[in-house]
Amino acid sequence: MKFSVSSSDLLKQLQLAAGAIGSNPVLPILEDFLFTVSPNKLTIAATDLETSITTSIDVRSDGEGTVAVPARILLDTLKQLPQQPVTFNVNDDNFGIEITSSFGKYKLAGENGADFPRIPEPDSVDTLTMSAQSLSQGITKTLFATSSDELRPAMTGVYFQVDFNKITFVATDAHKLVKYTFSEDIKSEVMSNFIVPKKALNLLKNALPSGDDVTMQFNKANAFFSFGDTHMVCRLIDARYPDYNAVIPTENPNNLVVSRGDFQSSLKRISIYANKTTNQVILSMNDGSLTISAQDLDFSNEATEQMTCTYEGEPITIGFNAKFLIEMLGVLEGDEIRMELSTPTRAGIIIPDEMPDGEEILMLVMPVMLSN
Amino acid sequence: MVYRKIIHIDMDAFYASVEQRDDPALRGKPVAVGGGGRRGVVAAASYEARQYGVRSAMPGFKAKELCPHLIFVRHRFDVYKEVSYQIREIFREYTDLIEPLSLDEAYLDVTENKKDMPSATLIAKEIRERILEETKLTASAGISINKFLAKIASDLNKPNGQALIGPKDALSFLEDLPIEKFYGIGKATTDKMHRLGIRTGKDLKSKSKIELATWFGKTGIWYYHIVRAEDNRPVQPHRVRKSVSAERTFFDDINSVDTMVATIMPIVEIVYQRLLKIDRFGRTLSIKVKYKDFSSITRSISFPNEINSLEFLKAETETLIRQNINIGDEVRLLGVGVSNLSGTILAGEQLEFPFPSDLEKLDEP
Repeated sequence: MKFSVSSSDLLKQLQLAAGAIGSNPVLPILEDFLFTVSPNKLTIAATDLETSITTSIDVRSDGEGTVAVPARILLDTLKQLPQQPVTFNVNDDNFGIEITSSFGKYKLAGENGADFPRIPEPDSVDTLTMSAQSLSQGITKTLFATSSDELRPAMTGVYFQVDFNKITFVATDAHKLVKYTFSEDIKSEVMSNFIVPKKALNLLKNALPSGDDVTMQFNKANAFFSFGDTHMVCRLIDARYPDYNAVIPTENPNNLVVSRGDFQSSLKRISIYANKTTNQVILSMNDGSLTISAQDLDFSNEATEQMTCTYEGEPITIGFNAKFLIEMLGVLEGDEIRMELSTPTRAGIIIPDEMPDGEEILMLVMPVMLSN
Repeated sequence: MVYRKIIHIDMDAFYASVEQRDDPALRGKPVAVGGGGRRGVVAAASYEARQYGVRSAMPGFKAKELCPHLIFVRHRFDVYKEVSYQIREIFREYTDLIEPLSLDEAYLDVTENKKDMPSATLIAKEIRERILEETKLTASAGISINKFLAKIASDLNKPNGQALIGPKDALSFLEDLPIEKFYGIGKATTDKMHRLGIRTGKDLKSKSKIELATWFGKTGIWYYHIVRAEDNRPVQPHRVRKSVSAERTFFDDINSVDTMVATIMPIVEIVYQRLLKIDRFGRTLSIKVKYKDFSSITRSISFPNEINSLEFLKAETETLIRQNINIGDEVRLLGVGVSNLSGTILAGEQLEFPFPSDLEKLDEP
């Protein structure tokens, strides 16, 4: 079989699919793209057996068939070519591939496309449609809070809770937690919960188009995301998600309202002086004033800043990991944030002072133990 | 190039030596700590017992077979802990960069030290003398340019000895080292290495990064670096263990659930020994199963309280295996882990959300 295509259009689609290729594939063929040529259409697939991406592109073709093409060498070749038509000629017997550009010919050894692992198809699935932008928001606002602890597999993904026309994304690493709910422009007729691994969401975040809608399908084993000509499939994390609602405190008598930007900048300065292992900063609040301080006894470093705030409650002194607070404040939007606290050993809530209609976000963070 | 000076200190047959120190009747005799009960395992064996082949993590009855006059004594963790703190105080006179691995082992970074001593060999010698003086126990030490080599070195002249692997000798030492002596290369990996024709460090070094990555995954990359004496892991004084686990890869895939249950029990015992050794228990038990096709699953169960009984750990592990393995599944690796480790909360420790465990949930109406 044979096909011709623009080098840069092909490169764009290949780079999209390449995200699914793992860094240490267990089978050599997983270092390849699967090319499937049908009349005037090329379908490209890549997989690491957990996550797969399939996309397609219009080509001028002659003959049909499949071949597995080594990804690295093909990507490197196309990157070095200025935009121009390239022709692929595949020997259907030995899977040798010959690429022709305006400069010359490049030969590489392909493999039998029939040996490429089968990409799961949507089978007895539930379906939901939402805008790519909203899904992207849901991922961006939660992904940072996931865990890398393999002993807690549930926490290494984002928990999706679909409730008819409302979707909630939850992520936690047992130290910080984000719950983001979105209820505009969602079309679904189902209720379901599942955990999507973070690798898939990272890929999805980068691949999502800005305009279109995304169709999301899911069954017990897999989630399928489709937009334009691109489909992504990922194996769901098969674990029970922790009962996160149980750890969201309901009695928080101490309330702080402070400028989000000023608070974040202050934390960035103060954290330079914090112990590098714990990143501990100490927040002391009383009427109208918030003191942020840190010290690193090993190096005799210390720093203190004071800022104005609105505070209601008993004076409290509480320690947090500055890195967590800075990340959380960076993901939140709006001018002011509210922190709701009870005691120095219980979770603190951080919420924006106002949110757009149809969106809700709640962040939760556990303190760092203070001495005495 | 400026080399680091890392010392690995390892107490000799720690628990057993403490018992022999405190009870003169045990001195010079084969002693096993733990393993006396009907189904217990040996936590530590004295050098006299080791001559008969008695090893830690061995079932008590098997140890008794090997050494019929073996004396079993109960462990006294409070005493071991006390000695361990005593030793750490000695380390602290030389450096604050101490990374305890367990009650009887620690890494020290003495590149810069409080006594401004230029020789790490002399520091190790002094520390061992001080330990003997203050605790009447012997320790061995390994001195080298990184953690990996220091750990191997401490084994070279054990017991009551020390060894230096200097920067000039490191590469040739590693080349000559039999593959099974590399710390972290267990039986299954050794077998695989042998099948690939790798018997010494030199053979290992001849393999490319890609070959090693293909055969061993991420660990292959690690092998590539360590055989070139490249180990930049710092000595981490504040490292808090969050979990303890152990796993075994099998030479032949296992497909009988009963065999899996039988095979995983020694792994559970090893995990239990490790928990005892770091003196912490956990609330969450996990199993890891890797199938023939390399896909893997992890299943866990949490309890309201710490699990501190070996029998309970074993029973729950069996339940997890039976609940999650289907008939006909072919398994190449089994692992057990305990997480949500307890212990006194220290200042500066990051707290965790108190997620309710699955068990507690069952009690709800």
